[in-house]
Amino acid sequence: MNTNLKISNVTKIYPGCVANDNVSLEFNSGKIYALLGENGAGKSTLVKILSGVIIPDEGKIYLNENNLKLNSPLDAKKNDIGMVFQHFNLFETLSVFENLIIDSDEQRESVREKIDAIMKKYNFSIDLDIPVLNLSAGQKQKVEIIRCLIRSPKVLIMDEPTSVLTEQETSELFLSLKKFSEEGILIIYITHKLKEVMQLCDEVAVMRRGKLVSVSQIKNENIESLANKMVGQNLKNIKKKKAKISSDQLIKVTNLNFTSEDPFETNLVNINFSVNRGECFGIAGISGNGQSELFQVLSGEIISEKSSIEFNNNYIGDLSPQERREYLMAFSPEDRLEQAAIPQMKIFENVALNNFKSSNFFNNGLINENKIKEHSKKIISDFNVNTDNIELKSQFLSGGNLQKLIIGRELITSPDLLICFNPTWGLDVGAINYIHETLIKINEQNKSIILISTDTDELLKLSDKISVIHKGKLSKIMNADEVTSEKLGILMGGAN
Amino acid sequence: MIKIVKRDQPSRAIFFFTPVLAIFLTLVAGGLIFFILGFKPFEALKFFFIVPIADKYGFSELLLKATPLCLIAIGLSFCFKSNNWNIGAEGQLTFGAIVSGGVALLFYEQEGFYILPTVILAGAIGGMLYASIPAILKTYFNTNEILVSLMLVYVSKLILDYLVVGPWSNPEGFNFPETRQFSDSAKLPLLFEGLRIHAGIFLALAAVVISWFVFYKTYLGFQMKVSGFSLKTAKYAGYKGKKMIILVFLISGACAGLAGVGEITGPIGQLHREISPDYGFTAIIVAFLGRLHPVGIIFASLVVAITYLGAETAQIFMQIPKYTGQVFQGMILFFLLASDYLLFFKIKFIGLKK
Repeated sequence: MNTNLKISNVTKIYPGCVANDNVSLEFNSGKIYALLGENGAGKSTLVKILSGVIIPDEGKIYLNENNLKLNSPLDAKKNDIGMVFQHFNLFETLSVFENLIIDSDEQRESVREKIDAIMKKYNFSIDLDIPVLNLSAGQKQKVEIIRCLIRSPKVLIMDEPTSVLTEQETSELFLSLKKFSEEGILIIYITHKLKEVMQLCDEVAVMRRGKLVSVSQIKNENIESLANKMVGQNLKNIKKKKAKISSDQLIKVTNLNFTSEDPFETNLVNINFSVNRGECFGIAGISGNGQSELFQVLSGEIISEKSSIEFNNNYIGDLSPQERREYLMAFSPEDRLEQAAIPQMKIFENVALNNFKSSNFFNNGLINENKIKEHSKKIISDFNVNTDNIELKSQFLSGGNLQKLIIGRELITSPDLLICFNPTWGLDVGAINYIHETLIKINEQNKSIILISTDTDELLKLSDKISVIHKGKLSKIMNADEVTSEKLGILMGGAN
Repeated sequence: MIKIVKRDQPSRAIFFFTPVLAIFLTLVAGGLIFFILGFKPFEALKFFFIVPIADKYGFSELLLKATPLCLIAIGLSFCFKSNNWNIGAEGQLTFGAIVSGGVALLFYEQEGFYILPTVILAGAIGGMLYASIPAILKTYFNTNEILVSLMLVYVSKLILDYLVVGPWSNPEGFNFPETRQFSDSAKLPLLFEGLRIHAGIFLALAAVVISWFVFYKTYLGFQMKVSGFSLKTAKYAGYKGKKMIILVFLISGACAGLAGVGEITGPIGQLHREISPDYGFTAIIVAFLGRLHPVGIIFASLVVAITYLGAETAQIFMQIPKYTGQVFQGMILFFLLASDYLLFFKIKFIGLKK
């Protein structure tokens, strides 16, 4: 049976922002639809309206010509709209089966039969009786999908589903989605990754600042045209020039080990690498494989053996972050709001977090506000942070502007080495481009970068050498031009 | 029609206006309560808030009560601003009083200029020691400082109880639960003949100035602020976050301990069971009413101190139980928290739509 979902003139206004401005869209089963847009474009709001989480101010939703009243997620379920969120809603300590029946009022046996049938049909292999915490991210996502399929949905909405998956898991997911679509399930796929849209979808709707800007057939589009529609301007295509890399070694990590007392952290096992001047060393991996621990060991938040890290011919393994800064290292952590900056503090106060001796931010124990403000103004103009008020609390900066501020702050020392961890995570295309350009510029100035990232495309674009971290171990180090994303994907999954 | 709109940015003017609004609403609600009880609201409020401070003696009493409140609240502001919820200032006050009282008793019937400074220092150290317990348990054993600091209040009160009826009780005291009187050298000097206001007020004023300077002007204060917002950030910036937590507890404990010294070496001049009418708890209200800002805390401590005095006058002249004072303190906090809603939302009056 054909399914037709119609969104008619939907408007949702939040204080200070129109999240959805008179959006009308029509979907028919048999096709896979992409809903594309940057962060804050209004995709999530629209999807939350479809799944009953948010009630629109104006507008109507029709499913097969019936006007739906979606006042709660339960209403969406009743109307056969299934949704897989970006973040898993699973109970880690319960078994897969318990997670699947938790919101079902049918007999356990009959549900089990249903699940078995679904798994057989789509070739899923998951042990139903082990706790969810033993599953990989891809398997967890399958559990979420099965949970929707049990209710035989007419519509299945996937919200940024690949952000935690490996290359291989992603292609498996795409196969499943195509199969669902053939079965007559209407699929709406939300993403900001253009490559996936091109691979998977039939039609694409692009949103920008709450408005629907275009609906088109994929066959009439390419990556550049979609990117330009998404951002609303023509983007420069950034490419790293192949530079001559000096053989001058800057940092050398030898037999670095870290054993954590926290069972939720990953131990680092025998890490060895070195980075030359002007070089970008990329570390790929699925999140949770020791990247955070490695970043902390390199930044000095976790102290290691003195001789395990040699920087500029000094052993620095036992130094604190502040002491390492004096040796001209700089750090940009993954978590912008919880670690790299303090949202409740003003911009210039956040700049003072990178305190090094020659900055004179603090003299004789006193705050030198003029000096800090002077530096802050420089960062704001040098790094294109979109504000001129350094007294503004940094919570009012967008993710991209905050990241520019952080990178700018770290670069005021003109460090020899910048270590960054997922520097473009969650940013929109414009900001990503800017950060990438900045990182390339650093390399051009013969300074080095260690880039820990879960974004394979980013790594391939920026790195000179790449390694993959899996369960706290580094794979062999490869030259970036010999590596493909498929190869990285295999290594990220733990194969050799 | 009324519409509630979220503010884009908390308003700075409203930030200082809401405490005033809270006090006003407290007066209105208090008047209403008096009215329901059968009193004339304005007269009752006059007895509560104006009569007690209408003369010189009353004003001195006001400062006397405001001194410990201000001192403790200043200390607490260090903790609260850095997200450490020390609510055991009453215990730190009591323990500071015990230690300084013990030292004062050592100098029984002795005179000397060095005695008072020693006694004061002992009180500060006592408060610090007591505050270090929740601080160390929090930083090294992940305990919750709210529970630990609160429960330690009762422990300190029982220790005090034991001491004043047991080993430290006055041998010539006819078994009253109190110690001997301290020697004059161990007492804070009175400022005016016939009034009870004593030199402890200078301790409070010094605390105000020092805390303002430390928190807003020094690197140490900056590090405390950062550590309070996020230990992860502190670690990343290279600060010693755990030490900062312990430090704010020590500062807060020292202030509470000094308040305890002021109570026992002031007009009372001895240790006994009831050294504090819950100053340590009331100071939490003072700290928030004063917006954790040193100057704000001065005003807040004066306002809240009136409720102590007003309760006593009301009891004498209107036969209302003196616990009305606590009702007023509760209402202030209640209305303050409620009107803080205005920090983040504004009320818009818009014309009726057709």
